[in-house]
Amino acid sequence: MSEDVEQKSGNWLGLVLRDAQFWVPVIVLAAGLLVLRWIS
Amino acid sequence: MIAAQPGVSSAPAPRAGLDPRRLRTLQNVGMLCGVSAGAWLGAAEAPTKLVTLGLSPVVISLSMVIGVFLARWTIPALIQGTSYVAADLRQAPHLIVWAVLAGCLWAVANTLTIFAVRDVGLSIAFPLWNSNSLLGIVWGVVFFGELRGADRRRWLGVIGGALLMFVGGTVLAAASAAQIPAKDAMRGVAAALAAGALWGTMYIPYRKAYLTGMSPLSFITFFTVGELGMMTALALTYSGGAAELWSQLSGAKHVLFWLLAGGFVWVVGDLFQQYAVKYAGITRGIPLSNTNQLWGLLWGILVFGELRSASSSVLAQVIGGSLVMAVGAGIIALSSVTRSEHARWEEAAVDEAKRYRVDTRYTRARIAGEDAGGKRRRTWIDWSVVAVATATIVAFALVARPPQIVLNGGWALLLVLATLAILVAAATALWRTTRFN
Repeated sequence: MSEDVEQKSGNWLGLVLRDAQFWVPVIVLAAGLLVLRWIS
Repeated sequence: MIAAQPGVSSAPAPRAGLDPRRLRTLQNVGMLCGVSAGAWLGAAEAPTKLVTLGLSPVVISLSMVIGVFLARWTIPALIQGTSYVAADLRQAPHLIVWAVLAGCLWAVANTLTIFAVRDVGLSIAFPLWNSNSLLGIVWGVVFFGELRGADRRRWLGVIGGALLMFVGGTVLAAASAAQIPAKDAMRGVAAALAAGALWGTMYIPYRKAYLTGMSPLSFITFFTVGELGMMTALALTYSGGAAELWSQLSGAKHVLFWLLAGGFVWVVGDLFQQYAVKYAGITRGIPLSNTNQLWGLLWGILVFGELRSASSSVLAQVIGGSLVMAVGAGIIALSSVTRSEHARWEEAAVDEAKRYRVDTRYTRARIAGEDAGGKRRRTWIDWSVVAVATATIVAFALVARPPQIVLNGGWALLLVLATLAILVAAATALWRTTRFN
């Protein structure tokens, strides 16, 4: 029940940040920006 | 909570797995979407040839993204209505973050491809950034249970096909060394491979969204916020500020329409790619959509006269490498999903729904391509979106001039007609089977 409340009350951002899979694209994005800076 | 709606299975009971016929139909539709995505994504790269006119890569990418932004709001508004999008987002609001992140990945990757096309050419850059499918397969297996429960033949098909694609890409990369200076080649190859890594990782948000149940038409509306935001930041950074960027955009106003059009075409391809991911999975849908490499090759050689001065051995390398990659993609695509593998997908979907507290009935309905109660209706907001987008495109078209680049009109017309025919076939099948869910 408390879990349902968490999603409905907008704390889904916390769920995203605690999801380990979220950090994979974040790291790849940062690496891509570094490559872009190098080649441009 | 899912609202009940007459005539649709708005709250289906939990089930062991999809009906085999329904699963096969969804698979076929996913495959067809993958083929259509290949044609449209390939056609969309043609405007990047304008880079030879001396435009800045970030100006080209920003202009394409503006076209992309217009298309990503116009198409959902026309097909489903923004109220349907809003209903989808209420079911899974966390996907807004994932969509924006995916949009950021797309924008950086797209900018990198412009650099790659400039430095190594369309024919070479395409297969290199199409390495994204290899990475996508890894993420699909590791994170989303794809290929789990599949038999040895399917594993061999996917892994063998991936290896063939790698060999084909290597042959094409080797061909680049004979065409261009080493320094430019290294930068171009790095840009193309980095774009492949970004796009390959972008399938993580895609798959999360579609396992959860969101309609691709809903996902792309927030996806594009990330795209436009990231692209604007990149353009401001690499152009030397707002005044300089505006000056460059003003100076390029006569060709901006073509880039906007390229972005619009890309969205159609990307939308089909998203449906391919949803119904065929990353491991099958993405390799199939990467046949855009062949379409890019056709556009590059037949329409723009690329490789005209290349030696016969280089030409043989490019064509041979492309064919090997295409065969690899075909083998992967033919390794269809079995019921036991699909059951693993459904488990992954339920896990995703539990992790983010999403109603599992919504998730189960949508993974089967069924409606989940959202109402399709158009309001004044939808018509306003369409009107603004149309006015913007018309305004750019009025000041557009034909690009100063030599192209073969006959081949261009033939490719356009073929691309439109594939669109009609795929859209009809998608509508009949899933109502674009």
